[in-house]
Amino acid sequence: MKPYLRSLLDDPKNFLAMRYGEGFKVDGCDLDDFYLQAAQKKYRELNGQVAALKRLSKEQGIEDIASFDDLIRVLFPHTVYKSYPLSFLEKSRFDKLTKWLNGLTALDLNAIDASECASIDEWLELLDNNTALRISHSAGTTGKLSFLPRTLKEAENVNLILRDMIRDWYGDDTGPDLIASPLPYIQPSYNGGYYTMLRGAELRAELFGVTEENSLYLYPDRMSADVCSLAGRIRAAESKGEGGSIELSPGLMKKRDQYIQREIDKKDSIRTFFQQAVDKFGGKSVFLCTTWTMLYDAMVEARERGIDNIFGKDSVLVSGGGNKGYDLPDNWKEVIFTGLGFDRAYELYGMSEMMSGFPVCEHGHYHIPPVVIPFVLDPISGESLPRSGTQTGRFAFLDLMTETYWGGFISGDEVTMSGFDGDCECGRKGLYLHSEIRRYSEKEGGDDKINCSGAPEAHDKALEYLLNAAQ
Amino acid sequence: MSDLFEVPLVVRGRVIDDFSETFKGRSGSVGFKTADANKYIDEITLSRPSHMADLYSISLEDIIEYLAELGPRLALDENTHMQQAFELSRSTSGLSDSILRYAYETIPGSFEREQTRRIAENLVGAAYLEGWVTIREGVKVRAFGSRAVHIIAGNVPLVGVATIIRNAITRSDAVIKTPSNDPLTAVAIAQTMIEMAPDHPLSRHVTVAYWKGGDEQFEQQFYQPRNIEKIVAWGGFNSIKHISAYLQPGIDLITLDPKQSSTIIGQEAFDSPQIMARVAEKAAMDVGVFNQEGCVNARVIYLVCGTDEAGLDRARQFATMLFDAIQKLPDSLSTPHKHFDPALKDEVDALRFVEDEYTVIGGRGNEGAVIVSHDSEAVDFARDLACRVANVVPIEHVDTAIRSVNAYTQTIGIYPDALKDAIKDQLAYHGGQRMVSLGGATNPPADAPQDGIEPLRRMCKWIVDDTQ
Repeated sequence: MKPYLRSLLDDPKNFLAMRYGEGFKVDGCDLDDFYLQAAQKKYRELNGQVAALKRLSKEQGIEDIASFDDLIRVLFPHTVYKSYPLSFLEKSRFDKLTKWLNGLTALDLNAIDASECASIDEWLELLDNNTALRISHSAGTTGKLSFLPRTLKEAENVNLILRDMIRDWYGDDTGPDLIASPLPYIQPSYNGGYYTMLRGAELRAELFGVTEENSLYLYPDRMSADVCSLAGRIRAAESKGEGGSIELSPGLMKKRDQYIQREIDKKDSIRTFFQQAVDKFGGKSVFLCTTWTMLYDAMVEARERGIDNIFGKDSVLVSGGGNKGYDLPDNWKEVIFTGLGFDRAYELYGMSEMMSGFPVCEHGHYHIPPVVIPFVLDPISGESLPRSGTQTGRFAFLDLMTETYWGGFISGDEVTMSGFDGDCECGRKGLYLHSEIRRYSEKEGGDDKINCSGAPEAHDKALEYLLNAAQ
Repeated sequence: MSDLFEVPLVVRGRVIDDFSETFKGRSGSVGFKTADANKYIDEITLSRPSHMADLYSISLEDIIEYLAELGPRLALDENTHMQQAFELSRSTSGLSDSILRYAYETIPGSFEREQTRRIAENLVGAAYLEGWVTIREGVKVRAFGSRAVHIIAGNVPLVGVATIIRNAITRSDAVIKTPSNDPLTAVAIAQTMIEMAPDHPLSRHVTVAYWKGGDEQFEQQFYQPRNIEKIVAWGGFNSIKHISAYLQPGIDLITLDPKQSSTIIGQEAFDSPQIMARVAEKAAMDVGVFNQEGCVNARVIYLVCGTDEAGLDRARQFATMLFDAIQKLPDSLSTPHKHFDPALKDEVDALRFVEDEYTVIGGRGNEGAVIVSHDSEAVDFARDLACRVANVVPIEHVDTAIRSVNAYTQTIGIYPDALKDAIKDQLAYHGGQRMVSLGGATNPPADAPQDGIEPLRRMCKWIVDDTQ
């Protein structure tokens, strides 16, 4: 085994001690041997500590990881972090929710008494104050929030990986070191919250030297997890008949109304926001985290007003989210970068359950750092597709960087993976995903299937806003 | 795929073999080729109401005879059109071949005289269909047919069958827009009608076309009061959303929304092990027949067994019997699902991480599952239950089950009948539309109201002759 991989096998956190680019100098054919040993080691460490993993292993008759097939059988389904019943939230059974969470983390939460919590926000605050956990939650578009039990230390490592990636992705020291020399931070969203992206930014603030003076947010307040969960709760209540009618506290209703109003006003707010960004940071180099579509709208607006080259050349943009459901013209990147005045951009494929994102190269491929063991599974049988050539199927992985939760996960995404036996044209080695990625739950075009069986769908306008907002 | 199925366009007695448009199927299923409906829009629309007159040259008895003659001609082993429809459905339908075959084999029986006569009598009134009925001195009423578009569901082939029968009995002119999950059954029936009696008014008042729901160019021109009087729409929010944009005075929308059905089982089920086994078998029918693809199929099963430990034990015992009974259903009625919903599988898999809250029986592969809630709450994904996955919810008192009923509830299977009689009115206030003896959910009477409305009466125009 190559010394680099040997070092990662000793401790995957050595990924942080070495240059980021080293991770993309390992031949795809050398990886599997390392992967298997690393998976074995991680499994042995966590199997005794994470109750849910132990239970799944027992059910699957797995005692150790002798092959990738063994490993695949103990990967968690992507529904795992929202597997609690919604009634826990509806009835404020945060004691039960804590017990559920206890099964998913190596930390011992038995001493935590959450029985007095009356809201998700309160519960998350309680865990922040009394444990090493810094839970983040998903957007809950489908109705329920996923709660990911990541610790402060793990969250910090996520941000260290991000720092390294920005600094070294296009070659060692080609980008700024945002810890050594912080940049003003611009985030067209809430100023914090437990929602994954916001949580990440919040926990990054100190590390990246973000202060009130050198930052700008679309909204000055934190985003409420309870409001985020409302759409799902209202929809669930609707389908439960009279028995499901929920009483929402006036405080929460007020927050909901405010949230909806903001969604309605969003286009205007964003215009004002970018004007503020120009006024406050125009000509300076900044660190910007946002989606392409939001950025495009803002830059079209800027162009109409004759504004371009807004920020300094050393600025950094971290973007993602693709441009789904949004028709951008062919010259969209040009519009964005002319407006911004810089072109150092990093686009990632990732998900909150994974500590490292996969940065995209100039050939549109998402490169997988060696601390994530990727699989492409047959969507029907769940078996691994051959680890050679180019394979399309359900993306699954084991994240070697996690320490207190099992990083084994089967996603809901269809991906195409290559790199086992041939490198990307960009020169980086190792495995990579192709640009076409879709959710399995998304229906294909041309579908006009009509069934007589079904259930309530979103008719409530307010609910629609909540659902859209939660994207 | 090169050998795509060809779906002819049938327009009022004419079969048009134009296959210039290709429509994609869902992933894993084949697509089909058919005509571009836009090209034939002038023929598809019956813009001259006077052309309805020929339907009044025949008697109701003629109509019943025509249908009775048509039925046997639709036999799957003899009719090549039906065979093709069956072949295409094998890939577009969620039903396994054995169930589909059974469903197709029941089609001829739907056209029997007794059956259609009962539909005419009970769902409209034969006298009103046949002539002017004096309701008091000087006032007469008659039910006339209308020009209607039917946007039909395709999860079971019988929806197209029922539409053609209803159209004939009400002396209406139907334009049937087929769904992508069953593009050919209605076409096959219409083709058989033409071959049997090419010039018969009933053969000449059926059009079967496919256009993509939401095709604005077509729909904007077509959904006009001068072309159609009624829209009969099956299906959900999306299907109705397209249509609602075209609603205006002069167009009557009859919606048959997507529904779900449930079950309430009283404590009497536990009177003896024999009774319990029989009740589980009946519940298995409600869950499993036609692989839970229908709106009539049971999904959540409320069990009045108590919620203490002993109650939970009873629930688990019952669930095991139910699961076994589902597995034992004959292949013609139920099988492991051929396209088990992966999203549902993920939900079922996730339950093992909350073992304090749920017990899951089965659910390993595509065999189906019975989930027992330990609390009196259905699973969060109750509305997505399908592919023979049911949720047994133990309750202390039947009121909990009654309160769970809502506007989307269609059928409620109940055991015993005495409980049905005791709570049926309450269930109706809450939204229940059909209360049936346990085991009978999937066998709804063809001559009774549907989804709380009377679609046939609404398909008619009720005309008054007023002598003063």
